[in-house]
Amino acid sequence: MKPNVAIFDFSSCEGCELQIANLEEAVIDVTKLVDIVSFREVMKEHSEDYDIAIVEGSIARPMDEERLKHIRAKAKVLIALGACAHLGGVQRMGNKFGPEENKKEVYGMADQKDVADSNKFFETPRHKALDEVVKVDYVIPGCPINKNEFAKVIVALLTGKKLPVPDYPVCVECKKNENICLFTIGGVCMGPVSRGGCDAICPTYGNECEGCRGYISHPHEQAQNDVLVKYGLTAEEIMNRKTMFTSKYLEEKKEAGK
Amino acid sequence: MKIIKKEDFKAFINALIKDSGMVIEGVKSKDDKFAFGPLESADELRLDYDVTLLPPKKYFLPQYESLLKFDLADPFSAKRAEFPKRKVIIGVHPYDIVAIRQMDSYFLDSDISASYLRRRRNTIIIGSDVLKVHDKAFFGSMGTGIVHSGFDLFLTDLGDRVTIEIGTEEGANLLRFAKNMREASPVDVQKVKALRNAMSSKAARGLLIKPSGWHDLLEKSFESIIWKEQSDKCLGCGTCTLVCPTCFCYDIQDDIHLTLKTGERMRTWDGCLLRRFTEIASGEVFREDILDRYRHRFHRKGRYLPDRLGFVACVGCGRCSSQCVPDIADPVNLTNMLFEASPHLVQDSISDPHTVRTDFSRLPEDADKVQMLHMPVPATIKRTEKLTDKEMLFEIELNSGKPLNHTPGQFVEVSIPGIGEAPISISSAPNGKSFEIVVRKVGDVTTKLHTLKAGDNVGIRGPFGRGFDVDGMKGKNLLFIGGGIGIIPMRSLINYVLNHRKQYGKVTILYGCKEPCELLFKSEVTHWDTRDDIEHLRTVDKCPEGACWDGEVGLITTLIPKVKFDPNDTIAVIVGPPIMYKFVIRDLKKLGVPDESMVVSLERRMKCGVGKCGHCQISGVYVCKEGPVFNYKEIKNLPEAFK
Repeated sequence: MKPNVAIFDFSSCEGCELQIANLEEAVIDVTKLVDIVSFREVMKEHSEDYDIAIVEGSIARPMDEERLKHIRAKAKVLIALGACAHLGGVQRMGNKFGPEENKKEVYGMADQKDVADSNKFFETPRHKALDEVVKVDYVIPGCPINKNEFAKVIVALLTGKKLPVPDYPVCVECKKNENICLFTIGGVCMGPVSRGGCDAICPTYGNECEGCRGYISHPHEQAQNDVLVKYGLTAEEIMNRKTMFTSKYLEEKKEAGK
Repeated sequence: MKIIKKEDFKAFINALIKDSGMVIEGVKSKDDKFAFGPLESADELRLDYDVTLLPPKKYFLPQYESLLKFDLADPFSAKRAEFPKRKVIIGVHPYDIVAIRQMDSYFLDSDISASYLRRRRNTIIIGSDVLKVHDKAFFGSMGTGIVHSGFDLFLTDLGDRVTIEIGTEEGANLLRFAKNMREASPVDVQKVKALRNAMSSKAARGLLIKPSGWHDLLEKSFESIIWKEQSDKCLGCGTCTLVCPTCFCYDIQDDIHLTLKTGERMRTWDGCLLRRFTEIASGEVFREDILDRYRHRFHRKGRYLPDRLGFVACVGCGRCSSQCVPDIADPVNLTNMLFEASPHLVQDSISDPHTVRTDFSRLPEDADKVQMLHMPVPATIKRTEKLTDKEMLFEIELNSGKPLNHTPGQFVEVSIPGIGEAPISISSAPNGKSFEIVVRKVGDVTTKLHTLKAGDNVGIRGPFGRGFDVDGMKGKNLLFIGGGIGIIPMRSLINYVLNHRKQYGKVTILYGCKEPCELLFKSEVTHWDTRDDIEHLRTVDKCPEGACWDGEVGLITTLIPKVKFDPNDTIAVIVGPPIMYKFVIRDLKKLGVPDESMVVSLERRMKCGVGKCGHCQISGVYVCKEGPVFNYKEIKNLPEAFK
């Protein structure tokens, strides 16, 4: 029996779901292995009968939490798809400001009658990763996900293997691709602490790694900080690098420090 | 030595590209750096390069390589991956030629790697002299700036002309594509010599100690604070090993294709600087501290490989130091720092980067006739028996009908195509056609194994490693001390001894596990109680209320004082989890058991089983080859053995 798979989204750009659609012919292979019963981005049908839930997006509002809990209750396996579901996404950068400040920043003074009442219909909630709300069985990291990795994860799920998401830094695949290290040509890069598995796609095309797949399990953060300082970054710039995709870790550290 | 005008040289290269029918690769520019890649025209070839980002090892040990391809419906008729097309690589610098020779020695001098041999036999190497020295290069100091062999042809670009030295007949054959070539004049030969000497002296970066002195320097400064100071800055990114021409470690993983019908066994580069390099299935990491990983790399270059294969595994290319972001990978800086801080006089050893030369004439001409190191043979599960919640026993027979012919203490690599391969100790004494393994469910392979039944097939490689010295133990009193799943390999020896009971002296067996439910081989263990030619005690760390237990309660070490044995006339065989060794050995020493009378079996990540992949290495020792059984005396001074 083929398992039923449903794909859901919360706060996100839905780019990770698009990556699944971008598998092109391989999508047909995937549909031979699983029945996709819900996938808003590509199909009209929806079924509440699913074994595997693949969830994109960060969790922001109380109603999102309720909906995610509902999905979790129905699914045997829940997979976080992409950086938003895994870590809270780039939108999590806003968590370091208060909701009022965010509201002003995003919506300006729209709908303002008086200051106290301003923007009352716009929400600027805090963003969470899925695992801060429900139990997550597997993570497919990345912004966006690596579609080949998605295919491998499907195979792993169906054959009972551990997920193929590696735990080595981006540098490994970057070197195997024979890239020029961005540090050697005046750039800075989060690759040395960030989880590989993306085939170092950003540095391969000359872009600095922003750490969208999160950190490896034992990042050498101090050494990385020293390197960033050596390459001329200010404390604020370093903090910005660490906030882009990985502010979850900063929040956790702050929490633990309390 | 021949010489040819530049335009005729270019015509030669273009003719190779167009008419030779081979893939022609050479050094090309990549932005302001250089890399080997396929040439489309002679104009792309940059003989004036300083160093390439990756060494030419990628042609012989590719970043990703399919070792076996299989159909999951019939996995044991696995095929070798397709034969690579014949290749010419142009522009290999002398230091890289030395590195290729070291690779030859590593992959061909023992346990021949068929996939390496086929690539090596299938590649023509055209070397070239260095014209521009990279500021991190130090091949001059390593003596690797000039080579007289190891190439098929060798080029020296003299500006308007190029000299060509012929290394092999195969190289000479290529010259049929060259026109207007003539003998080089003595003046030209002199020019080439002068150029080589100039480059080598330019590439001497003030290395205070000759490569032949590295061995002693590293040995004496193992505990130096410099390792900590440097490794504190280390990112653990693996770059220094990945870009190194003499780092050969690899990992192997199985892939199942999206159709779920086919799969392949893939090899990819790995590196000892990466944390998971030494991780075993249970999650234990043997070089957890970055200091140990950082130090291991240098010691492998300067001590372990010289001890093993006779060469210093560094050729002075400068790739590690030029690509290390925190700038701590430079062998020149490191050795100079250690030397300056060392109060010792450093002794010379015999090894330098040049001391190897693989004799290709003794190797099989056809690499495909060589048994592949990674090709398992099919075997059938005859019987399974659940021993505990986590452990299952499998009786296995090779489909060939031949006995495994193992020694107690050896291990096999068990593979399930598509899932992977895992090293598993043999648990039975050699006896008839079948053998037994006991498998704890921890990783992919072992979890899958637990779902298999009698009649199912698995792949087997081995037996591997050194087992127990059953002959040397004859006539001796034996004290077995087994902890947890350590009893699994130990059982192969215990049963061997019991099968030949009269040949051995007093037999004492101490066996401990965490809880009663984890006791393995229950009926055999209780049978030991009934034999009057065995003294046996068993213990559990703790006994939960209501559990049925007739043995002792307490750690395994608490059993030692309860048995009588003559410390000077007993061999202690100790197998257990890493933490157990320290305490058991300490207690036995206190009782006066000499080091040479203790025998241990160590667990490491024996990924390949044939001494190539690097994962199981403890300092310079390959557990898969020299172990897993060791005499304690042999390894007590290895700093990483009992950490």
